[in-house]
Amino acid sequence: MKLEHVSKSFGATIAVDDVSLTVEAGEIVGLVGENGAGKTTLMRIIAGELEPNRGMVTLDGSVGFVHQHFLLVSEFTIAENLRLALGREVQFDRPQRLIRDLSVGEKAKVELMKAIAPKPRLLILDEPTSVLTPAETSELFQTIERLAHDGTSVLLISHKIAEVLAVATRTVVMRRGRIVADGKNMSADDLATAMVGVRGAPPTPAAPRKTPARSAALHFQNLTVSPGEIVAIIGVAGNGQTELATTLRDTLPRRTTAHIPEDRARDGIIAELSVADNLALGAKTSARTLIERFDIRTESPQQRAGSLSGGNQQKVLLARELDRRPEIIVAAEPTRGLDIEATQFVHAQMRASADDGGAIVLITSDLDEAFALADAIHVIYRGNLSDRLSPADAATNAGRLMAGLQ
Amino acid sequence: MRRLFIGAAAAVGAVAILALSGMAFGHPPGELLRILLVGSIGSPFALQATLIKTVPLLLTGLSVVIAFRAGVWNIGAEGQFIVGALASFLVARFGLMAALLASIVAGAIWASIASLLRFWRGAPEVLTTILLNFIGFHLLGYAVNGPLQEARGQYPQSEVVPPKAVLPAIDGIHAGLLVAVILAIAAWVMLYRTEEGLRLRATGFNPRAARWAGVNVNAQIARAMAISGAIAGLAGGIELLGVTHRLFERFAAGYGYSGIAVALLAQLHPLAAVLSAFFFGALTTGAGELQRSANISATIATFGQAVVILTVIAFGAFHARD
Repeated sequence: MKLEHVSKSFGATIAVDDVSLTVEAGEIVGLVGENGAGKTTLMRIIAGELEPNRGMVTLDGSVGFVHQHFLLVSEFTIAENLRLALGREVQFDRPQRLIRDLSVGEKAKVELMKAIAPKPRLLILDEPTSVLTPAETSELFQTIERLAHDGTSVLLISHKIAEVLAVATRTVVMRRGRIVADGKNMSADDLATAMVGVRGAPPTPAAPRKTPARSAALHFQNLTVSPGEIVAIIGVAGNGQTELATTLRDTLPRRTTAHIPEDRARDGIIAELSVADNLALGAKTSARTLIERFDIRTESPQQRAGSLSGGNQQKVLLARELDRRPEIIVAAEPTRGLDIEATQFVHAQMRASADDGGAIVLITSDLDEAFALADAIHVIYRGNLSDRLSPADAATNAGRLMAGLQ
Repeated sequence: MRRLFIGAAAAVGAVAILALSGMAFGHPPGELLRILLVGSIGSPFALQATLIKTVPLLLTGLSVVIAFRAGVWNIGAEGQFIVGALASFLVARFGLMAALLASIVAGAIWASIASLLRFWRGAPEVLTTILLNFIGFHLLGYAVNGPLQEARGQYPQSEVVPPKAVLPAIDGIHAGLLVAVILAIAAWVMLYRTEEGLRLRATGFNPRAARWAGVNVNAQIARAMAISGAIAGLAGGIELLGVTHRLFERFAAGYGYSGIAVALLAQLHPLAAVLSAFFFGALTTGAGELQRSANISATIATFGQAVVILTVIAFGAFHARD
């Protein structure tokens, strides 16, 4: 399998940026990187599910692809699912069981069978171990090693550095659409650092803030945010960030708390309503004033919010949430997918809110953002928050904490 | 503007298809159109009949508008209409106001059974409201064949309501028309000029995002369902006290289901529902005239409703929820 200068963008977002990669027969390549680094997009290009905008894909034989999510008909039996996918009967343990009665581990086995039964030259596994028990994981890895021994190339996507190191013969790290590291004998530390892109020196700490005007602090587990403070929660996506944001939403008093949900299109704005209506859901000030103050580029307050660009949608959300001068602000991935200008605007708003005495929780997978804004940092790993770290400490330890190595 | 155009196109399209389908019965389309028009709005008598049919259609239409706007698929206006009328009949001896109030409360309770099942068991209201329609229908059938049957015991129908519970009327048009139009305006104000209305619409379009915006989504759903049921119940009460004055098995006459067509043609806009209800009122009345003078079954009006709904859906103007 050979990729030459492959690029793929969705609208303004560049998912895969000029990637070249060659995989030899019998190789087990571990592909690691944060969510949104472009791993899944790259795999879908290899599997032929997506057309690249630029570049060449050369394949020697067929590709088997085990998706991250199960693609099984739950009311069908195992045998029926396999026949549906493969068009023929395949050996499987007790094939008359219904998919919905299986454990996730068994479902994963059915998915794997779908992919390997046609004897592909290249097998792609997207986060295969995320739902497996340790025993199931090691069983899966034995299967992978046997396949590789028989000449199949394997591409294994994972968040879990330890697992990748255990099974892969070579490791590739992606970050922001590019391959940033590729080698056979990388240490866990090398991988963690490459993955999250932690730089050596932290930026100069933000200037001391004025005495806060408000006094509510946030206490949640070992997370404490004082008025006027920005505390960042960083971590590899899928380690409980979404659950943390949801829990904070359901426990903090809504009247004094602002929420910027991470999935802007689904949970943030209401696309079918006008800009003015979206603003009125949270803000007291008139739509015209807010549109001016937050520089929302819209034809009129009556324009459908869904027709705005991502950056302007986020401005609508900020205006809606910040207008009431909330005491606590929980912002999840507030700049994901935004261009530089919009990102700077969001950052300026968050700083202004902190200066105004707001207690701000910033949940982000963008480390540059965390270091640029935060007064203190927690790393979230498997649902647990690390101790409170100063930005300087975080710069040294975050990589290892995020990878669960410490 | 675009929405108004789609509505008008759907209505015109429906009438045109009706007229063309009349050719199957050997009638020239122009002639059928003339009968439809004259029979629905061509004479004071016809116009009066159309307006009287407009009242229940507008009320059930508004009931559906409120529910659908909140993203709750209340298909139960028919059953709520029936229990509203039943409750109205039971307290009619205490006067008009008591009877109207009873219809509102009964409709709200009947609809709220579906809300309860949704919150308690996750039962989809599309199913529960339809099933409640059947229960309501057979409850009425039992009542007019049993405890509420007229003293003579000749027909499966009730006695007439006492005169003091009858809605006042001018020129044969009862006061329910005024109530329905005022409610249409009130529904518009509620939906588009109040914070609660905004929250209701936000819930209907995107309940997840509404939740993040601090809207109590379940409360919105429960309230929309109750208001929707209340209006459908009131429609039944008004029909009883203003038009039929007694209960009988076929009392609801499909008004609840027609309300869905009214709401969809109005594209869930309460003011447009006034026009939409009048259109369907005229269509039903005109279809009656078609049956009398051209011997074409009046069920052609139902056919017309179906054409309108399909046209509106085909134009894609109706998407209250993904």
